[in-house]
Amino acid sequence: MDEEEVFYLILSLIVIFIAFGTLQTFGSPWSAIAALLSLIAVAFILIINWADFLVFPLFTKTFGITFQPAKDYIITKKQDSILKNVSGLYYATGFVTANLFPYIFKEEQQDESQEEKLVEAPQKWERAVMTLSFPFKFHLMSVASDVQKVRDELEAKRGLQEFQLNREMQSQKQSEIAVTDIRRKINVIQARIDRISSGEKPISSLMYIETTAVGISEKSAIDNLASQIKELQVAFSSLDVQLNRVIGRELYTLFMFNFSMPTTVNELVSQFSKEG
Amino acid sequence: MNAKLLVMLGFLAVSLVFLLVAVTIPLSVLPGYLKIVLLIVSLVFDVMAFSSRYYSYLIIPMLQQRGKNVVLSNEQPYWLSATEDAIIKKDKTGYTATVYINIPLYKSATDMTDEERLEFSRQVSRLAGISREPIRFTTQMYMMNKDSYIQSIRDAISAAENEEAELMQKDADQNSLEIVKGKLSMWRNVLESVSKISSLELSTYATLSATGIKEYEAIAVAQQKAREAMSGIGSVLGVTPSIITGKDMLRFVEPEYLIPFSTISQEMTEKVEEEVI
Repeated sequence: MDEEEVFYLILSLIVIFIAFGTLQTFGSPWSAIAALLSLIAVAFILIINWADFLVFPLFTKTFGITFQPAKDYIITKKQDSILKNVSGLYYATGFVTANLFPYIFKEEQQDESQEEKLVEAPQKWERAVMTLSFPFKFHLMSVASDVQKVRDELEAKRGLQEFQLNREMQSQKQSEIAVTDIRRKINVIQARIDRISSGEKPISSLMYIETTAVGISEKSAIDNLASQIKELQVAFSSLDVQLNRVIGRELYTLFMFNFSMPTTVNELVSQFSKEG
Repeated sequence: MNAKLLVMLGFLAVSLVFLLVAVTIPLSVLPGYLKIVLLIVSLVFDVMAFSSRYYSYLIIPMLQQRGKNVVLSNEQPYWLSATEDAIIKKDKTGYTATVYINIPLYKSATDMTDEERLEFSRQVSRLAGISREPIRFTTQMYMMNKDSYIQSIRDAISAAENEEAELMQKDADQNSLEIVKGKLSMWRNVLESVSKISSLELSTYATLSATGIKEYEAIAVAQQKAREAMSGIGSVLGVTPSIITGKDMLRFVEPEYLIPFSTISQEMTEKVEEEVI
């Protein structure tokens, strides 16, 4: 949870807490209804906080709301594709996340299997591309992080885990599962510190695939896009990447990246928090 | 104070006002059901205040327009710079120039040994870390533009059709008529075979942006950044990158350049004809 998230949550929840604290002013039986409504509002805020990409498309789909992000472009009511009409032909563009983060970081092993994966990667990539017969773009957005800052953060995280491990070891109800879990976390953090110490640059990256389909009507373009996205998910599955279709506000952000990219790291990081 | 925060505080203030009205006015003046209505309005504004964290750019136009098609912008999202080496976007704070760098990679994993593949993967990993500012590397597969070729074939077909009609009107001899018919059939076959399958091309490029208060300032900074990135790309991959200029850039931005109009419409016609026949 970042500072901004906490700030927005606290300010929004204050209003609801005031409502809870003054329930008696609504009189009977309205105070019970007021309590129920306040709880619903809390639930809404929490859902928006953790899964806005589910709530927002549901809202626009229910009310049939479309957006025009720029001249000639329309974001559909399902919030999963962007349409452009050129002389009667419809071009539908959609995005799929393709983050290789888990591929690298979930493993965190500096063993031979990592090298094997690197040897196989170019061939797997080539095979995936050869199976596809429609236009697509594979984007890798990256920025090198400050080595010292990342190292300091990792060392702080390792310190915290070591403190938790000590506390767990000294506890009378010592849990073997918890100890193993903390040790695994320490190993993962240590592996990252070792990689940075060996000269590897820490990188923040974002990967996604963009594809465009064409059709003689909006529906046919959107249907063609859906089938292209399925094909992409099958083709790139061999690369062990997370392939989720981008829905909601991140679709707008990725679309705007085609015309101007973020110029600072903070700008880039602030755009993506949950879905990818 | 930034606009996003102002939107949030605005909604929050409205929410608080409605709530305070609901809780401070006694029940004898404001009946319970009206208090509930005010509470609902207050909670809606409160949820909107929180949503503005992600959707501040949408909420205001939605409330202003109250229609089913919410227009966020009615302007072209960008324009080509006068020097044709960047695309420019204007926003409230100034201009953003985006530069595209071509990375000529003609390697195939099939022709590589295991050591070469490992080295190539490492080169790609190193490439990702060349810049301290956001840079985007893209591999794009796009449809080869056969629009002008298809148009020249269509012109040849029309010319042959006119020739055939003229000869038929003049009661010309069978021999010359057969020659024109043969020509016509040849061009039709060429058009059919050209548009039967899509020809795809693969290219790799890098994109980066820079901002400036003036357009020329943004372009100059973006070009400077591009030169630094090009030297990094060149040293990591051993290739000579170049800045993409003119209409070639549109292939990376506009869908109709990714899938050229005439090429795809001819292909679709062929497909429909095949299905119908």
